[in-house]
Amino acid sequence: MSWAEEVEELKRRRKLAKQQGGPEGIAKQHGYGRMTIRERIDTLLDKGSFQEQGKATAVPDYDDDDNFLGFVPANYVLGFGRIDDRRVVVGGEDFTLKGGSPNAAGLRKSIYAEHLAIQYKIPLVRMLEGGGGSVKSSGKRGGSSGGDSVFSEPRFKVIADAMGEVPVVSMAGGAVAGFPAGRMAASHFSVMSADTAQILVAGPKVVERALGVDMTKDELGGAQIHAKSGVVDNVAANETEALMQSRRFLSYLPSSVYQRTPRYPCDDSSERMENDLLDVVPRDSRSVFNMREVIEMIVDLDSFFEMSKDFGRSQIVGLARIDGQPVGILANNNRVYAGAMTAEAAQKYRRFVELCDTFHIPVVNFIDQPGFMIGPEAEKKGTIRYGMAAVAAAAQATIPWCAIQVHKGFGVATAAHYAPNAYVLAWPSVESGALPLEGGVAVAFHREIEAADDPVAKRTEIEERLRAARSPFPRAESFGVHELIDPRETRPTLCQWIDWIQPQLDELKGPVKFSMRP
Amino acid sequence: MATHNVESEVTGSVWKVQVDVGDSVAEGDVILILESMKMEIPVESPADGTVAELRVQPEEAVQEDQVVAVIES
Repeated sequence: MSWAEEVEELKRRRKLAKQQGGPEGIAKQHGYGRMTIRERIDTLLDKGSFQEQGKATAVPDYDDDDNFLGFVPANYVLGFGRIDDRRVVVGGEDFTLKGGSPNAAGLRKSIYAEHLAIQYKIPLVRMLEGGGGSVKSSGKRGGSSGGDSVFSEPRFKVIADAMGEVPVVSMAGGAVAGFPAGRMAASHFSVMSADTAQILVAGPKVVERALGVDMTKDELGGAQIHAKSGVVDNVAANETEALMQSRRFLSYLPSSVYQRTPRYPCDDSSERMENDLLDVVPRDSRSVFNMREVIEMIVDLDSFFEMSKDFGRSQIVGLARIDGQPVGILANNNRVYAGAMTAEAAQKYRRFVELCDTFHIPVVNFIDQPGFMIGPEAEKKGTIRYGMAAVAAAAQATIPWCAIQVHKGFGVATAAHYAPNAYVLAWPSVESGALPLEGGVAVAFHREIEAADDPVAKRTEIEERLRAARSPFPRAESFGVHELIDPRETRPTLCQWIDWIQPQLDELKGPVKFSMRP
Repeated sequence: MATHNVESEVTGSVWKVQVDVGDSVAEGDVILILESMKMEIPVESPADGTVAELRVQPEEAVQEDQVVAVIES
């Protein structure tokens, strides 16, 4: 007796699974302008590299009267694939089946995706769409078993664990709510498609019922909300761009914490010096300059990948390459609150430093820090607590770190810009201290100023004396910085440093431990 | 005709208004300058067009994300 009959049935089931929600379900998905999960996978991965796991997973379907209707494919597609020839695990809800709400096999596959990434030590890319659990399924056969046993591992543990082991990327292609929204947030990089996606703890109907607020899902959790909320790192114009950003993010990271960061061949000369750097920082410290242009002039051409641009806007974070070596970029944006560290900027800063520390990515920090944000709003937002958590993340970072003193460096917030054993460079435009001169002199010397015959002249005299001491040369003479440099020399100097740190990067492998931070 | 809101990225006060209603502006042109955290922060036009509305005056306080002007293109 052969097994031909079962093999035929297996073929039939595999074919069925690929049909997803059938022509109708697929047409509906396309009607909303969205890709199916299989189209997303094909767009994300290197051509022809998808190797599906659980090709025949399906669940028996019953109607409301418990009549057997047939088999329905699991609504989660999972497998291995390659991005730039490097292996990844990919998975996502099939929205053409019951709105992506998980059936038992689908839920099992979605959790297994995380385990697979950890087990095989490769990045995980989730393509999310769906609302998580449904009260319908909890009232049905298979959903009324009383839930997981008390001794089973919480299904969220693996989601938390993955973030310490492998790069986790989440892309939202449609509405993402409930459990999938939680997955979206629990990522190293998340990106939503502006024209098709929303991210919601709960959708409009639930919100209306609970709070009496009538809003569309776009008003509640569209791209314009989450670019600023910090829930997603980036917003892409459409799904294809969101998938391309996911690919790009991964190119800067190792496949797991157990590998060193990649390094790529570089066409951009390590000796390139941009003349515009000489006068980019204005001598008048009230005037702004464009820090993003500074970054672009120094890193490898077109390698800067900014993240979370509209959240905590006084701080710039992103990935780039220097002489082919991926690096984390931190930089103050003086156009927003002079680059001050707001509560949001501090959260963004800490999260980014933790990303770099976790994956052993060296950091280059362009410092123009006037201090923590001040004023009534800043106090209400708890700026100092988030700020000190950012300081702690930097102070405990284990990665090679280059600090470039570009302009200001005032107050406690400046401490967040230095990791232990940082390589410290200064531009001639550097100014630093406990407080900026203008406010600081009036406070520190008020007795002396008030006692003088001409208080204004006295204040000016003190300011001048202190301004002279602010010359960049003493810090070079005293070895207070490693080098005082011509701003144009920044790229060549950084390229040299990148060469110096290669042996360290070879050694820095394995999970990083954080203790509780403020 | 499209309208574009010009928003302030920061809380601060208006120092100088650089344009009048009816002026044509190019994307990136400075509409007004705010003072915030002891710095002069330019607020730029998000698009080419004409200044349709100016909603603030010198010395007025502005909030983060407040619409300070409207450009029509």
